[in-house]
Amino acid sequence: MLLFIVWPTLSAFWLSFHRENLLGTSREWVGLANYAEMLKDPAFWRSVGATFVFAAIVAPVQLVLGLVAALMVARPFPGVGFFRTLFFLTTAVPTAVAAVAWGWFLHPVGGTANRWLEALGLPRQPWLTSPELALPTLAVVTAWAGVGFTAILLTAGLQQIPEELYEAARIDGAGPWTQFWRITLPLLSPTLFLVALLVLLSSLTAFGQIHLLTRGGPMESTTVWIYRVYQDAFFNFRFYYASAQAVALFLVLLLLAALQFRFFGRRVHYG
Amino acid sequence: MARLARPLFYLGLAAYAFLLVLPLLNLFVASFKSDGELFAPGFWPANPTLEPYREALQKYPLARYLLNSLVVALGTTLGVLLVSATLGYALARIPFAGQSALFGFVVALLLIPGEVTFLPLYLLVQQLGWLNTYTALIVPFIASPLGIFLLRQFIKSLPQDLFDAARIDGAGHLRMLWHVALPLSAPALGALAALTFLGSWNMYLWPLVTINRSEMMTAQIAIAQVQNVEVTSWNVVAAAAVLVLLPTLIAFLLAQRLFIRGIALGGLKG
Repeated sequence: MLLFIVWPTLSAFWLSFHRENLLGTSREWVGLANYAEMLKDPAFWRSVGATFVFAAIVAPVQLVLGLVAALMVARPFPGVGFFRTLFFLTTAVPTAVAAVAWGWFLHPVGGTANRWLEALGLPRQPWLTSPELALPTLAVVTAWAGVGFTAILLTAGLQQIPEELYEAARIDGAGPWTQFWRITLPLLSPTLFLVALLVLLSSLTAFGQIHLLTRGGPMESTTVWIYRVYQDAFFNFRFYYASAQAVALFLVLLLLAALQFRFFGRRVHYG
Repeated sequence: MARLARPLFYLGLAAYAFLLVLPLLNLFVASFKSDGELFAPGFWPANPTLEPYREALQKYPLARYLLNSLVVALGTTLGVLLVSATLGYALARIPFAGQSALFGFVVALLLIPGEVTFLPLYLLVQQLGWLNTYTALIVPFIASPLGIFLLRQFIKSLPQDLFDAARIDGAGHLRMLWHVALPLSAPALGALAALTFLGSWNMYLWPLVTINRSEMMTAQIAIAQVQNVEVTSWNVVAAAAVLVLLPTLIAFLLAQRLFIRGIALGGLKG
């Protein structure tokens, strides 16, 4: 643990204060130069912007899709096991397979999505090939891949709400809509908040689907933060500059994780 | 009204399930289409063929890639179980100086996201000469803060009487760990195993940077390679993807409860 978690974390900071020579054979201490360059680097800021736009789409879409699924299967009914399996299924789909499935679904020529659009008399869409659409499309793909995971957590949360509350509400004449807004949502909100943080955290480090579907393009529109780090480290051979960007990402993630952690601590004590 | 609501409810369920599964179904269907049919209109193949599977298996050592993934996922899982059980037991049942500080330390490590330590970890693994080995894909992930945390919490919650009884019978810590704590921790161990296996099987970024020799690639990385080569033969790509999906899908269907439990346990912590 010291070797593979603590040491790399500390050394990430240490690396970020260095720079390599052109051949990559030696390194020298440059202090905060990497960070100074980063703050002035439009490519870095573009990737930060893309990351937050991406996360801002993934989180609500994934939460809503997962919540709808969870609401449907939280209570037992004949056949609930079958539908739970289908709704939770994306959990078992490796990122690489999900990416290939969507790559084909959204294929400009053979893809079912565009075929169906045409059948409805609507124009074909350049899902992954236009700079405007690629990032939102990838966000939806990511949200889809996470639906199973979200649905599982929310189902667990919904099952903790006592059935008696609903019975009492029904006796008072509350319809399903009122029950949802007055009982389900308030009582589920701690779980929802936690799940939202988890989704946010994982969407900020989405990598596999981007690497497989767009390679950060077109025109860098899908080069998110972590993809920028990967590119700078392994293609631009600027390992130390990439480290500085990774450390900056780390700090953002740490902030979110700390929030989640405080929250979790409260749940353990009082929950 | 109830009589009307029930069929509507099932209709809604079915429609939503169909929507969620559609991309996968679409992939599955494509893997049975011939080259000629691939770009023809129509969702279902008129003449289903196994040709894409034959081609995928012939051109790519998919069995080898799947075996690599299996070795890595099993190795990681076994390692995580062993380390988590031992350290979890020690933190829960063996009083020693600095125990609570050590536990606090493990909890703090939970906060460190792996995606960000991968650059220095890469340098470390490179210096150790581990690039292109199973070791690189397994060893760095064995000491799992999450696993240690879960097992510690679980073992701590077991009744103290059991351990006292074992001690009176003359059992040492090793025997108590093996004969008392581990059998009782089966639910936690199972959930952790399912979670670790899935996580390891799905790794993408790390194997992408540490493996470049074809025969060492894991299934996830191999897909990227197949997709790069087969730019137009999407049926072959689809067949390869289905073959890679099958093991996790089967594992998921068989161990659904464990997976779900693992995610619920792991998720509530992160």
